[in-house]
Amino acid sequence: MNTRRIDRGLRRAHLALVPMALVALVCYLGATLWSLRISLSSSRSFPVSDFVGLAQYRRLFSNERWLHSLGNLATYGLLFVAACLVIGWLLAILIEREVRIGGALRLVFLYPYAMSFVATGLVWQWMLNPGLGIQEAVRRWGFSEFRFDWLVDQDHALYTIVIATVWQASGLVMTILLAGMRGIDADIWRAARIDAVPAWRLHLWVIAPMLAAPFATATLLLLTGVAKLYDAVVAMTQGGPGTASEVPTKFIMDHLFGRANIALASAGAAVLVLSALIVMMPLFYARARSNRRNA
Amino acid sequence: MLALLCLALPCAAAVAAQAAPAARPRAEVLHWWTSGGEAAAVRTLADAYRAAGGDWVDTAIAGNEQARAVALSRIVGNDAPAAALFNASRQFRELIDQGLLITLDDVAQREGWDAILPEPILNAVRVNGHYYAAPVSLHMPTWIWYSKVALRKAGVEKEPTSFAELFLALDKLKAAGLIPLAHGGQAWQDNIVFRAVLANLGGRELYLKAFRDRDPAAIASPQFREVLSTFKRLHSYVDAGSPGRNWNDATALLISNRAGFQIMGDWVKAEFSSASKLPGRDYGCIPGFGAHSPYIIQGDAFVFPRSTSAATLRAQKLLASAITGRATQLAFSALKGSIPIRADVDVSTLDQCARLGVSIMKDRSRQLGNDETWLTPDQNGALADILTDYWNRDLAVSTVQQRIVAALTD
Amino acid sequence: MSAQQLMRPSAPRRWYADPARLALLALLVSAALCFLLPLYVMSLTSFKSMEEIRNTSLFALPPQLSFAAWQAAWSSACTGVACEGISAGFWNSVLIVIPSTLIAVGLGALNGYALAFWRLRGAGSLFAVLMIGAFLPIQVMMLPLVRLLAPLHLVGTLTGIIIVHVIFSMPVMTLIFRNYYAALPRELFLAARLDGAGFLYAFLRLMLPMSLPMLAVAAIMQATGVWNDYLLGLVFAGREHLPMTVQLNNLVNTTTGTREYNVDMAATLLTALVPLLIYALAGRWFVRGIAAGSLKA
Repeated sequence: MNTRRIDRGLRRAHLALVPMALVALVCYLGATLWSLRISLSSSRSFPVSDFVGLAQYRRLFSNERWLHSLGNLATYGLLFVAACLVIGWLLAILIEREVRIGGALRLVFLYPYAMSFVATGLVWQWMLNPGLGIQEAVRRWGFSEFRFDWLVDQDHALYTIVIATVWQASGLVMTILLAGMRGIDADIWRAARIDAVPAWRLHLWVIAPMLAAPFATATLLLLTGVAKLYDAVVAMTQGGPGTASEVPTKFIMDHLFGRANIALASAGAAVLVLSALIVMMPLFYARARSNRRNA
Repeated sequence: MLALLCLALPCAAAVAAQAAPAARPRAEVLHWWTSGGEAAAVRTLADAYRAAGGDWVDTAIAGNEQARAVALSRIVGNDAPAAALFNASRQFRELIDQGLLITLDDVAQREGWDAILPEPILNAVRVNGHYYAAPVSLHMPTWIWYSKVALRKAGVEKEPTSFAELFLALDKLKAAGLIPLAHGGQAWQDNIVFRAVLANLGGRELYLKAFRDRDPAAIASPQFREVLSTFKRLHSYVDAGSPGRNWNDATALLISNRAGFQIMGDWVKAEFSSASKLPGRDYGCIPGFGAHSPYIIQGDAFVFPRSTSAATLRAQKLLASAITGRATQLAFSALKGSIPIRADVDVSTLDQCARLGVSIMKDRSRQLGNDETWLTPDQNGALADILTDYWNRDLAVSTVQQRIVAALTD
Repeated sequence: MSAQQLMRPSAPRRWYADPARLALLALLVSAALCFLLPLYVMSLTSFKSMEEIRNTSLFALPPQLSFAAWQAAWSSACTGVACEGISAGFWNSVLIVIPSTLIAVGLGALNGYALAFWRLRGAGSLFAVLMIGAFLPIQVMMLPLVRLLAPLHLVGTLTGIIIVHVIFSMPVMTLIFRNYYAALPRELFLAARLDGAGFLYAFLRLMLPMSLPMLAVAAIMQATGVWNDYLLGLVFAGREHLPMTVQLNNLVNTTTGTREYNVDMAATLLTALVPLLIYALAGRWFVRGIAAGSLKA
């Protein structure tokens, strides 16, 4: 009788996973395979079933803009993840220590995460515009030589994207790390206080290593954001000045529609996803191992 | 819950509209004309359609690439609008090849399109003897605009008639502390400046060899090299705030007399008019340099996706003839800043820049296609990438030449 | 919480008497001010007249508050031929967000539960495939999805856009619930099974009530994510259901003569109001839910 119930339960469990199976296999796996197939064809706006080998990939890697976009993404990803982790961590420490005021300020650091760049892109563009924004305001205060024109500067435009996206995401990192700190054994804090360990040493050498798992989670979340970076660029610089802040997703999007070359776009997508996986694999692996150890 | 919400909310209107008897033809029209002047111009098309007995359902999406992306995915997704705007170019060629568009042969024959449409537009809408798109506007993207007040302030006496004179004027403006060239640093605007230099300095011959024949020898030639360095030289006359600026914000600099020149399409006239500025009095328009400067034609055209419904087909045919009608074209052009697509319209009521454009168009040898007439969207985009890169960075001219050859012969 | 009590200085000196603490507080408050700056500029600008915007600094307070821009943004600004503000899009967004959130969170919880507690063959590899989806930029998925939904006549319908949102959120929704349930003691589930609870009964009566903090996190993430979406709404929602972000984009890029920055900012704030309210009202649960383990494992 018991076995029959288990059988029925299992059947239901399988049934319950049908939507997920459909999404995973038809949508994600299907779309990935479809894109791979397209990337080996000479399709323009519409799929063509011929086979041109790796011609699109060769074209892709002789395309200046694509190479530049990949380089930009690497620079951006490094700066963005590092800045978010550092700022999020510092905020978490400050709030942990100043709990009364910090608690009230938590939402102030988290609110940018609620807004999209379709909405906030304009204000960022405006604040960073040398003629209208921060530079102009500071000059009006009397510092007539003040310069902050990164948005229109070939060599610095990418950093403005970093600033705006760090503003958006570091509150989330803070929240995750705060949650991690709450979970740390009270004895450790007590021992640190009795030994009069300075706060910075405590956090750097004792607490931070214990936060490895939350740090890994935060990094993973940030990295998914890096691969998908699009909105902020379109809203703030449109990839400019020139091609200074172009990113792969924008290249893909442009070629999917406006430039009617879905084969090249698909090749770009395949390269992007593959690079994302290569970056993620070690992280996934480390997390899985530490999970198994903990279990 | 959903049904309740639906009752209370605007979607009720949509439901009601669908339920209404389908007596009047009804056409959803997808376009990217969202700015004030553009919207006013679209309204004349909608009015003309209504007068012809149809209902215009407006879907405006800001940004032409964005709008075309939506049009394309909706056509592929079985949710096509009755009409969608494209540039009269190769942009919709694949839709034709796939059999996704209806033909407008009857409308074209009735109106005699072969006789009244300019050649480059005909070549875009007529494929294998069939007509697939209804043109609505002719723009000339490479006008040179100037603020009379700014030029006077800088001591520029007469409007330039050559690049040498243009550079002299730009120098004077710079010396007077004004912005010599108002420019929006976006790839497509950089591209327009380049086309202006290529057509006016390089000449018709070189223009055709580069864009139509994609001739590597022409692109590697010393003349082409000079075009590229002149283009780059113009960059030294733009202000620091130029990158990323919208075209109309650049025009606003001319309107407020803070800048001297702008190289841009005739759609800027809508901006001037909404600021109550008049051509000839407040601003001037130079179509090009020399007595044989070309009129580069950049047209907009509506395509009509094929559907299974006979009612939709009827609505589409009606729309195609309503928007190309003589009176409609005149009213539309006045607001849009374009010139009528047909040669049989009395344009004496249009402004002097439009009349100047029409008079140039009369001479068939001065009509010249846009680069998109011959280049695929992909080649065109690759060219734009190279040019905007060159405009913004220090690159050797020969490198740029090589890259253009590679991009166009790819 | 024990940690905070312990970290507080032992002899509670007044905050202004302790220079180190004073410095920390100053640091914290100035960081908060930096984070608030964009919101400050947006709100300020929306209350200025165009005249004031032209003549005063970005950060200067307006001499008097003007609500004209807010009114225009809501009900009379042009987003194309129509000049009805962005209010219609607001309701469209509401219609999209509610079902997309309920279905996505429900499915995520169900998937997480089935993956964490039931030993199902192939489920692990299925989950791995789903996780690849978390890294796929939506641009890559768009064309295949259009082709998939076209024969079903779902492109351009409310149902279609809801399905698309559910598809795109499934990897993250499933992941966070799976991790949450995996951290719960398995004995709990086994005991329920021994008491005769079936698959659904154990889920609805035992697991769901235990996952309230997680449900809050998931719902907040999904609701704000869907509300902020632009690209998917643009392509899949069809003309009648275009979300508010599409109208916002039309408005902000509808540029004639001088741009009306005050109206643009008011429209931006109106669009951002819902996600901001969600965080202001439910942010506490979000933080608590994360602390309870949703994103930790």
